[in-house]
Amino acid sequence: MTKREGSRRKFLFNSATGLGSVWLATHWPAILSAQQGAKLEFFTAEQATEIDAIAAQIIPTDSTPGAREAHCLNFIDHFLAGYGKSQQAGYTKGLQDLQAEVTKQFPGAARFSALTSEQQIKVLTAIEKTPFFMQIRTDTITGMFADPKHLGNYNQVGWKLIGFNASNTFPYANKPPLGYYDAVPS
Amino acid sequence: MRQVTPTTKQFPVTDTVDFVVVGSGPAGGIMAQELSEAGYSVVVLEQGGWACFGHEQDYNKDEFLQRYPDEANTLQSNSPLRPNTFRRTDKDKAVPGNHSYGMCVGGGGVTYGGSSWRHLPYEFNELTTFKGDIPSGTGIADWPITYEEIEPYYVKAEWDLGICGPNTKQDLLPMPMMYPMSKPYPVGPQAEKSSGALFKIAAKKLGLHTSPNVCAIITQPYQGRAACNNCSWCSGYGCQIKARSCSPVVHFPRALKTGRCEIRVHSYAYEVAVNDAGRVTGVRYFDSQKQQVFQRARAVVVSANAGESARLLLLSKSKLFPNGLANSSGLVGKYLMTGNGGGATGWVDHPMGEYKGAVTGVAILDYVPNDPKRGFYGGGRMTARGQSNPISWGLSGGPDSPRWGAGYKKGLLQWVDRRITCTNFITQQPLITNYVDLDPDLKDGWGLPAMRITTQSHPNDITAIDWFQKKSVEILQAAGCNRIEPLGPPANQDTRGGSHNRGTCRMGNDPKTSVLNRYLRAHDVPNLWVVDASCFVTTGRNHPTMTIQACAYWAAEHLIKDAKGGALKT
Repeated sequence: MTKREGSRRKFLFNSATGLGSVWLATHWPAILSAQQGAKLEFFTAEQATEIDAIAAQIIPTDSTPGAREAHCLNFIDHFLAGYGKSQQAGYTKGLQDLQAEVTKQFPGAARFSALTSEQQIKVLTAIEKTPFFMQIRTDTITGMFADPKHLGNYNQVGWKLIGFNASNTFPYANKPPLGYYDAVPS
Repeated sequence: MRQVTPTTKQFPVTDTVDFVVVGSGPAGGIMAQELSEAGYSVVVLEQGGWACFGHEQDYNKDEFLQRYPDEANTLQSNSPLRPNTFRRTDKDKAVPGNHSYGMCVGGGGVTYGGSSWRHLPYEFNELTTFKGDIPSGTGIADWPITYEEIEPYYVKAEWDLGICGPNTKQDLLPMPMMYPMSKPYPVGPQAEKSSGALFKIAAKKLGLHTSPNVCAIITQPYQGRAACNNCSWCSGYGCQIKARSCSPVVHFPRALKTGRCEIRVHSYAYEVAVNDAGRVTGVRYFDSQKQQVFQRARAVVVSANAGESARLLLLSKSKLFPNGLANSSGLVGKYLMTGNGGGATGWVDHPMGEYKGAVTGVAILDYVPNDPKRGFYGGGRMTARGQSNPISWGLSGGPDSPRWGAGYKKGLLQWVDRRITCTNFITQQPLITNYVDLDPDLKDGWGLPAMRITTQSHPNDITAIDWFQKKSVEILQAAGCNRIEPLGPPANQDTRGGSHNRGTCRMGNDPKTSVLNRYLRAHDVPNLWVVDASCFVTTGRNHPTMTIQACAYWAAEHLIKDAKGGALKT
């Protein structure tokens, strides 16, 4: 880590002190993750932090991985640069509308990602019927469970979460019995 | 992915070939194989692309990429260039429709679930056998062929293709639930899956009978192809190991080997040409550059699927046939049967692994035969299913769960891969008021009138859907499921088109009440055949593919007899 990055983090840490460690737990990984994942193709670094925070509320991390560990941000970013080009304007506007909602509910808050988790959920609940939220929900979930080559479902964490054996090997990809009920002797 | 363009023999367009076959799906493949092996020159016009013909290992098995297929993985007809319209009755205004079908070399056979049940013997002479029970106002008629006549052709299809099914005495249920077979299925049945095991629990409680599924997927190595490996992406995806038995891996390799068969892709037929003597002379089509081409032929076989074949005939107007080719009866396009089912879903507590392997576990056959005591005419096959893929699971989430957040994640992890569906296939009355025709307003990407589908089931069939949905609920209850729900209001299960279309050029002995004779030759035209589900007189209790294939072998044999007897001479 460079001296410059170190002081940036120190600044963020210090500015967050008043909000408590919950903020840190919520945001430290985002700061790291936004720098750890694949190179951004569409979002700015600032936008990426917001998208990552939204995705992390759509599929939260608890005792099991969520959208953050799956790098759903990178899936969405890569998607918007490619197959999802037609959605770019919608995302740009959606992020602006999100900021407006944040300011409306929490005047003085800098951005969505700066809110506590509870506050973030409140904001997302207010916009959950908007086309933007429905789109990012779809794209986050798609990114969670798509083939890792599309930059989400990192290390197959999404597939592992739901017990999906992605196999087409030979001579058996899956050998019968295939599930619980056909394994029970009749 | 590398682009592969298979090459086949190429006939000069100015040649007059023996046969043009329009369509390369389950029927077109059989016609191409039989005709070229019999010594005839055949040009197959396929409006779609090659798919992964000859390099099946490149079929897409990526759920996300399925929405963004490249050329080699464009396997369906749905595109803005090929719109269609839909209305319930001719009093309604037609609106944009969702009709689509498999469109590539192999047609729907490339991606279908593969169900390959035969028609039951009593379906071939229903009018005679069940006259007293048949509701008024339906167009039920006897087929002009009997089960005894077509049975050897079912066998030929099953053994040429490699169809799996119950092939032991204990597995093969008796009439009237299953059909008599002069030869057993060439390979044994698929795994029962958790859905099948749950059906068996229900069947035991309710005193019902289950059968293994009958399917166009080989369960053992067969004719040089590998057995199914139960991968995690079956129905809706091409098979990378050629275990799904369909025309590109069975019939076309044989046809091409003769050196007498050419497949032309991106060739969209728009007119079957006819001369003043009433004989067809060839097919006009748009090539891949949208140039108009005329391929001359001594005879034409239209195998473009039920719906598109009728549309092609309706587009082929001439002085002799102002209402469309071979349409002196006025019945081209009529008696469309889209196929109904309905069903129910239920949830269980343990993971089913249902995404693995083929789409259907087992079937309950007790309600296949007719039984007027149920309050409607007809019957149906009830199949155990539940297949889905990760993204689809993620987007639907658990039942009654929030759509996002901690509650969403909890619901998804609690219920993922724990959903069974009872998916039914039931009879549908043929009605003259159900038909395809040419939309008077909407044009497709080539300037041709789009297909318009007009269909609404007879009230008897809505009653049947309702009955089967209630029975599905009862079966899932007996299986121990929770949160059981029928699919929806019966009237909403009345289908609007799709790849199971049947009818529109019905076969019969009387040219006034049918389009095709019993050998699938057009009554009106001595050198025109329509060989696909267009010929169907009744629906059956199942997907149409196996009966399409048997009819194709039957038609091919008699066509070849005719041709050898001089029928191709002008």
